[in-house]
Amino acid sequence: MAANRDAGRVYGLLTEFESPSALVAAVRQVRDAGFRHWDVHTPFPIHGMDEAMGIRGTRLPFLILGGGITGLGLATLMQWWMNAVDYPFAISGKPLFGLPANIPVMFELTVLFSAFAAFFGMWGLNGMPKLYHPLFTSRRFRRATQDRFFIVIEARDPQFDAGRTREFLASLGGSVVEAVGESAED
Amino acid sequence: MAQHHVPSLSDTKTTLDGLGGRVFAVSAAVGVLGLAATLVLGLAEGDGLRRFGYSYLVNYAFFLSISLGALFFVPIQYVTKASWSIVVRRLAEVMAAALPVMAVLAVPVILLASQVYGWAEPAARSDPLLAHKAAYLSPLWFTVRWVIYFALWTWLAVTFWRRSVAQDTSGDLGITRKLENLSGFALLVYALTVAAAAFDLLMSVDFVWFSTMFGVYYFAGGLVAFYAVLTLVTMGLQNTGRLTRIVSAEHFHDYGKLMFAFTFFWGYIAFSQYMLYWYANIPEETYWYLARSREGWGKLGLVILFAAFVLPFAGLISRYAKRNRPMLAFWAGWLVAAQWLNLYWVVMPDFSARFVFGAMDVTAFLGVGGVWLATVTRLAMGASLVPVRDPRLGDSLRFENA
Repeated sequence: MAANRDAGRVYGLLTEFESPSALVAAVRQVRDAGFRHWDVHTPFPIHGMDEAMGIRGTRLPFLILGGGITGLGLATLMQWWMNAVDYPFAISGKPLFGLPANIPVMFELTVLFSAFAAFFGMWGLNGMPKLYHPLFTSRRFRRATQDRFFIVIEARDPQFDAGRTREFLASLGGSVVEAVGESAED
Repeated sequence: MAQHHVPSLSDTKTTLDGLGGRVFAVSAAVGVLGLAATLVLGLAEGDGLRRFGYSYLVNYAFFLSISLGALFFVPIQYVTKASWSIVVRRLAEVMAAALPVMAVLAVPVILLASQVYGWAEPAARSDPLLAHKAAYLSPLWFTVRWVIYFALWTWLAVTFWRRSVAQDTSGDLGITRKLENLSGFALLVYALTVAAAAFDLLMSVDFVWFSTMFGVYYFAGGLVAFYAVLTLVTMGLQNTGRLTRIVSAEHFHDYGKLMFAFTFFWGYIAFSQYMLYWYANIPEETYWYLARSREGWGKLGLVILFAAFVLPFAGLISRYAKRNRPMLAFWAGWLVAAQWLNLYWVVMPDFSARFVFGAMDVTAFLGVGGVWLATVTRLAMGASLVPVRDPRLGDSLRFENA
């Protein structure tokens, strides 16, 4: 198969649907065809979409667990170092490092670092902040925030082939198939 | 959405039928025999039913906390206009409606007060530490308070249950609206009475010690036990072909979230109570924990720390665990046991400075538990297990976690 002349410059192909039910049926076919770099854009959340797309669970919980353990360890280490080593100071006959007194800060830093991991981890996994996206070049795509539903298959997908993928998308029953360029000049 | 098959009530069985009669007969028999055995063992002890009184108190407080957990759950669904829970709300309604029978079961606690409650012992009357509490902690006023608690709880529990059952036939939307209007006030009454009842029932066993957190401590533990029992009851019913499909992994996921949340809440409360006493280090406050950290009670305390908080926290944290049926059943059973141990640890060190555990604790558990289960089953037999004409039932059947 000869490489497409535009392969390096085309971001992907999009197809448009007018109703969620038509969309979900098409989404299942894309999933079953084995594409990996593709996405669905809708004006509102659609229940069952994760399952229809075959999206696997996110790695975010493990990042959050890591953040929590980091916060817990840091809080323990910090309090031990400050109260028992660097500036030992006995307060009301308590041990220099008494666990109950340190638990509130251990709890707070666990929560704080978990929240950091959740917030920034979500940004990182979603590739944010992202000020530009190739889909912004499509006038048609603007209606993704209003009343249209889109499936986009990216050109970097290993199965992507400009001709055959276009035929495949056309067979899904959407109203139109459109190529989206990497940049506005395309 | 339309592309999903939404289960309907006709997909499953929603009445107890023959099962109800069998469970009622077995649990009533276990309950009566358990209570009789406890009484015989207690009389054989020859201590004026003192040991009996303590065993009974632990188990009575435990099953009362489950019914009180249900009495919290039901108004919460109305006050938040929740829809996810409609398919299982009837189960909570009948657990709460068992409260009038729990009122009858409170009689031994009141009759044996002088054996269990330090303030009711005649010798304590001259104790200077009781002097300023004597007006409140008197046998008569104690009894009057229990009458008030149970009058209010019965009124609320029976109102929510009866009206909901009435809606099964009438389909009257006005009932939902009336119960929504009542629910806020119900929760206010609930919060005040449950906190006061926890002071009376458990904290006043030792009249010197006090904790303003104690009411929340009892409430939080009871709610953990309630959610765990609700999970086990739902699974048990499904194993007999009832409520299948209409109660899905989505609903169990929510059970898991609530068990996880209240496990953490309980741990937070228990630690907050402990830490303030540890830090202030005032003798008439810390001795309560000191007595519970010696002679075997300390080891039990550590077991509770891990059993009621650390391990279930780690075990229930993931989405997978909450949606995996055997795993959720395991943690539900585990938490029931852990919360029972917690009440045992709260009450029993006042009976004996050294760790004790005996046959009476088991028979009292079976006795009170059997009567409780028989009551709940009997109440559930009279109507559908699902509020069939609740206006939010459709949303509950369609419910999915985002």
